[in-house]
Parts: sequence; structure tokens; C-alpha cells
Amino acid sequence: MEELFFIRFEVMPSLLEGLLVSIKLIIPSAFFGLVIGIIVGALRVYGNTFLKKVADGYVLIFRGFPLVVQLFIWYFGFPHIGIYFSPFVASVIAFSMCSGAYHSEYIRGAFLSVKTGQTMGAKALGFSKLKMIRFITLPQAFRRALPGCGNEIIYLIKYSSLAYMITCIELTGQGKIIASDTFKFTEIFMIIGAIYLFLTTIATWILHRVENRLRLPGFESYRT
Amino acid sequence: MAKTKTILKIEDMTKRYGSKTVLKNASLSLNEGELKILIGPSGGGKSTLLQCINFLVKPNSGRVWLDGKEIIHSRKKELYAYRQRVGMIFQDFNLFDHLTVLENVQIALVKVKKRGKEESRTRAVTELERVGLADHITKYPAQLSGGQKQRVSIARALAMDPEVMLLDEPTSALDPELISEVLDVIRDLRLNGMTMIMSTHQIGFASELADELVFLENGSILETGPPKKMFSNADCERTREFCSKITELYGNSF
Repeated sequence: MEELFFIRFEVMPSLLEGLLVSIKLIIPSAFFGLVIGIIVGALRVYGNTFLKKVADGYVLIFRGFPLVVQLFIWYFGFPHIGIYFSPFVASVIAFSMCSGAYHSEYIRGAFLSVKTGQTMGAKALGFSKLKMIRFITLPQAFRRALPGCGNEIIYLIKYSSLAYMITCIELTGQGKIIASDTFKFTEIFMIIGAIYLFLTTIATWILHRVENRLRLPGFESYRT
Repeated sequence: MAKTKTILKIEDMTKRYGSKTVLKNASLSLNEGELKILIGPSGGGKSTLLQCINFLVKPNSGRVWLDGKEIIHSRKKELYAYRQRVGMIFQDFNLFDHLTVLENVQIALVKVKKRGKEESRTRAVTELERVGLADHITKYPAQLSGGQKQRVSIARALAMDPEVMLLDEPTSALDPELISEVLDVIRDLRLNGMTMIMSTHQIGFASELADELVFLENGSILETGPPKKMFSNADCERTREFCSKITELYGNSF
């Protein structure tokens, strides 16, 4: 009984506060990550040699550096050259950039899977490259990339827990504070795990809804 | 001959892939309202020639004039404007898979020609009616037969008001039964005076409607002439051989 009161009145309020911060981190990071991923993915397929190299370099670095290291660089590194980010902003930048690198790989693969006939058809009608990507290949590629991109978003939900490493106290950060104060590590982290599970379940459900909405005759075989 | 105005002129078109030359110094000119049909064995350069004409394949050398004006394909704006004036029909249709029949025909009008939505829609419906597909406008390409797809692609090209149409084996990917529905549409175009270059193995159709046949082999234009002459007494030995073989196979409409 005592335990329940403790959880209800001491643990939950601060965890919910943390959850709110987590959500505030996840939503913009997922959005910007996807936007970056689409732009970089398109550059890697349709860009000229220079832009391709730049985009490849970006992916190499942001997929190659551990995310914690990236967070430290944004938060602790940039002040050395006079650029200051709040913990929250530094986290969103780091998550978006990292997420974008992974998204770009799914998007790139999806662009490559669009049949060359589609681009020929568009070019023959006088489409410029940019319009062709925007109106013809991206809508097709996006549908095919969605399962992979969804995977990345689910992953983002969980690695958002690293933000507390640079003092952006979100769900995991709050949990760690309470757990250290009370030594109830098992209970508190079980609750936190369950909350993340809840978040990923909702995200999965939303992504399925989106996939269904975007499903068209001729594109249905990409999901069973 | 009342019409002698040259619409499209191609000079010395050459395309190489590595050391292999797939198109050698091809020259061609097309008068208003004329239908030229490219014949010849597969791999002879028919598709490459057609794709070089609207620069879907960049030729190594060669010049193109449309309506007396030379097209410089490295100038992007000019290239895009030129392609709007030259319709292209592909062997495997190349309809946009994520768009409905109506949207397929409409999209270039709206996004490329920047016409209004309503105006484009009306135009698209008109073109789809013309090819007999008014009942299918809400379907997706995956829900159509091959012949229907090809007719949509013709409607899509026509909606752009092209001055010339390039047709790259428009019936080769179709079931025998569906060929005639597409050929009927092309015949209508021909009778309405559309200027066209078409590659095909439909020899009956070619001899019935073409002003001139152009025989291509190994990337070179070997011979050009009116169908009757090409089939009965071509100058070139190889042309005679090809024409008699293909006539044997597909029948002759003479």
C-alpha cells in the first residue's frame, strides 16, 4: 500500500513531467529527421557529383559517430567556438541529424527502386529534375521507404533517452534522479520501460494508419 | 505536295556506349503531318534514335532542329520547353504508378505547363474520351490492361499539344488482342494530321499508313523510302531480306 502511494504521488508526477519533455524532444526530431532524410536521400540519388559527395560524407559521419559523442559535441563542443545551444536544442539537433542520416539510407534505397521508366515518362513530358522528384519519384519512394523510416522513428523514441546525458532531463533523466534518491531502481525503471513501450506502441499504430492511408493499387505488396 | 514544311530535323546523330556505337550519323527530317516508321532488327538503334531525339539519351554528337530552331540540350530551360512540344510514347507505357488515370494526364498540365486545375482537368477528360477511356479515369495504372495503359499514355502526351510525337514500339508489350485498340488510336492521330515518328514491327500498319519507312540496322540508317518500294524492290539487299522475312511472319496488307 505504501509502495502504491509512493508511486502514485512521488514517482508518477515527476515521470510524467519527464515524459512531456521526451515527447517534446521526439516530435520535432522525428519531423526534422525525416525532412533531412528526404533531402539527403534525394541528393544521394539525383545530386551532381559534388552534392552526392557532401551528402555521403554527412551520412558517413552522422552514422559513424556514437550518438552520445554527437550530443557532447553539440552541447559541450560548440561553445568553444562561441555557439551555445540549450540542452533541449542541442538534443533536438543531434537527434534530427542522426535520424536524418539513417532515414536517408531508407529513402535512397526507395528512390533507387523506382523504375527508370517513371523518370523517363516525367522527363519526356518536360518535367525539370526537381519537379520530377517532387511529384513523381518522391511520392512513390516515400511509400516504399515508410516501413524503414517507421523503424527509425521507433528507434528515435528510445534513443531520445540519451538527452539526459547533456542535462536535458526527460523521462529517463527524471527516473534516474528519483531512483538515485530512493534506491528503488527496479520499480522505477520497470515503469519507465513500460512508458517507452507505450510510446512505441502508439507510434507503431500511427505508422500503420499512415501506411494504410497511403496505400494504392499497385503499391499494396509492400506490406502484408 | 501541299505540306512541305519541315518540323523536325536531325543531323548526324551518333551515340556510343563505351567503344560500342549504337547509333551512327543518323539524319532525318520530318515534314508537317508526316508519319515516318522506323523498322529494323531489335538492337538496331530504333529506340536509341527516338530517345536521342528528345535527349532522354544524350547523343555524343548530332544536332536537332524543331520548327527551324536548333535545340541546345545543355540549356535546361530550352530542353524542358522542347520536350513539352515533343510527345513520347514508350513501349512499356511509363504511366505514373501512384496517380490515377486522370491525374496521369493532368499532372504535366498543372505542374509543367502551369495551367489551372479545372482547365487541366477538362482537357485531360477530353483527351481520355478521345482514346475511349472516359469510364476509367479514377482507376490506377495497376488496374488497367496493357492496351488501356498505352491509350492513357497517348492521352497524356496529346494533352500537352505536341507538335511531333515519337512512338517507341507502342504495341510491342501488348497481347495480340490488344494491339488493334492502340493502333486504332494511332491511326486516328495520323488521319488528323499529327506528325509522328514511330518504331514498330507491325508491318501491316506501317505499309498502310507510313509516308516513309526508315530501315535501321547496327545503328545506321541503311535505306529510306515509301513503303511500297521498300517492300517490293528495295535498293539495299539487307532491307529486302528483312522486309521479306518480316512480311512472312506478320503478313502483308498489300
